[in-house]
Amino acid sequence: MLRAYLAFAKKSFLQKSAYRFDHFMGIFNTILRIFIFWEIYQALYGGRAEVDGITMSMVTTNFILSMGLSVVFKVNDFYLPDKLQDGSIATELLLPVSFHGRMLASNLGSSLFQLVFHFVPALVVSVLIMGMEAPVSAPMFILFLVSTLLGYFVLWSISFLMQMMSFWMLNVWAVMTIKDVFVNVLSGSMIPLWFMPDWMQGVLKFTPFSYIYFTPVQIYLGQLSIKEILIRFAMQAFWIFVLLMAGAFFWKKGQKKIVVQGG
Amino acid sequence: MNTKKNTLSLAWVYTKMIFHSWFQYRVNAVLASLAVFCREATGILVIYFTLLKFDVLNGWNMYELLFLYSLLFVTYGILIIFFTGLRDFWKIVRNGTFDRFILRPRGLLFQLIFANADWFAAVGHGGLGITLFIISAGRVGIVWNFQTIAYYIAAIIGGVLIQGAIFLFLATLNIYLLETGSIKELFYYNGRKFAGYPISIYHKGIQFFMIYIVPFAFVNYFPAQFLLRKEDMMYYPDIYMYLTPVVGVVLYLLAYLFWRYSIRYYKSSGN
Repeated sequence: MLRAYLAFAKKSFLQKSAYRFDHFMGIFNTILRIFIFWEIYQALYGGRAEVDGITMSMVTTNFILSMGLSVVFKVNDFYLPDKLQDGSIATELLLPVSFHGRMLASNLGSSLFQLVFHFVPALVVSVLIMGMEAPVSAPMFILFLVSTLLGYFVLWSISFLMQMMSFWMLNVWAVMTIKDVFVNVLSGSMIPLWFMPDWMQGVLKFTPFSYIYFTPVQIYLGQLSIKEILIRFAMQAFWIFVLLMAGAFFWKKGQKKIVVQGG
Repeated sequence: MNTKKNTLSLAWVYTKMIFHSWFQYRVNAVLASLAVFCREATGILVIYFTLLKFDVLNGWNMYELLFLYSLLFVTYGILIIFFTGLRDFWKIVRNGTFDRFILRPRGLLFQLIFANADWFAAVGHGGLGITLFIISAGRVGIVWNFQTIAYYIAAIIGGVLIQGAIFLFLATLNIYLLETGSIKELFYYNGRKFAGYPISIYHKGIQFFMIYIVPFAFVNYFPAQFLLRKEDMMYYPDIYMYLTPVVGVVLYLLAYLFWRYSIRYYKSSGN
């Protein structure tokens, strides 16, 4: 069974490697994006050692990690919508492999590709240009990896839930675009969440967005105690559970009223 | 009698269908423009939250930065009314529509400019630009008199022409290259991303790029400097504040000559 999923993962891995020039441009653009934010914050810091106890080097680490991870975490938001639109969902559902398993496997395949061939080179070049904090300790680094994996699933689950909207809407591009705005602004990849106003910090507590990149970054920087880390892990798991349950609910409802285009 | 009834019920079915699809697209259209608006507002939200914390960026306060940003959106909103055909030129070439254009008794550029307009983008970007202008223009210490208003209008026209020239240049490249998405990303969209902030905060290489290679600095930074006179203008020659319309006209003429020269070599992507 696992073999089948591995095949799907491998397929999407290979698909990714087909466009070489575009891929190099992608890496270049990632580095450039990190670099712009680094320059903006250099100007904002204006030589100050720290702002609210946050050093420039911590800000740099936040941008490199969260923007770097965002290329690995990238979810194909149109996996289900495309299959609903062209009608291939009908045959897909007949396959002896779980559809959700395929969804995840193909995403894991392209994520692995992005990790090795996009994140790593972008990370190396960025660190050479801008520098970055080293992990505080080996155990903390392992906890960072765990929360990164959980963060990946939080973002994947958000997309999973949103994709279910395509049972009721012919075109989910707008919904996905608005979802991306929320993720971009509230996850800390464009504004380090330390600098959000207090009222916004309060709002963020009730959303899953800070658990995608910011929690791993905080663990990496050694900002959280073991107790706090465990609470964050629980929150990450909680959000994954809630989002997946909601997604599964709509999946069930949606399947009953599959409207296949042209069918 | 029976046929009459059938016709009527068929008409009713059609009416329902048309209404249904119309409503479907209505919802999509409203959602799509809302999505464009939100997506473009991301940069604004980032500036807002960042400046809430830090107060100034290289001497520019929040309203001054929003004013700088508004010039980008206003010019793009006008630009996209006229230049959508050039933005999407690669599609027109690839699917063969361009071959049809060649056969028609009108100028090619004329058809490209007037045959298509992405009104969602125009309303989304233009609306955001005007909103930002209204929020910021009264709070940045500009005295709006005949001189500044005339300057503002000239700068907007210049800014539209500069970006139009870039579009025309990139469209022309499609005649030589099949795939230009990455080049467009590199030269146009990155330039616009940088232009959201005062160019003085960037590395010298990026400043050079913004002034002399893809001259976005003349779309918003130098015009904003003429009106705001921030300290960081001292790094650049004063004359640059007056050059926007000149850069626009010259660049557009150059792009036009390149287009005229290249169009003779156009070969259809079909057989």
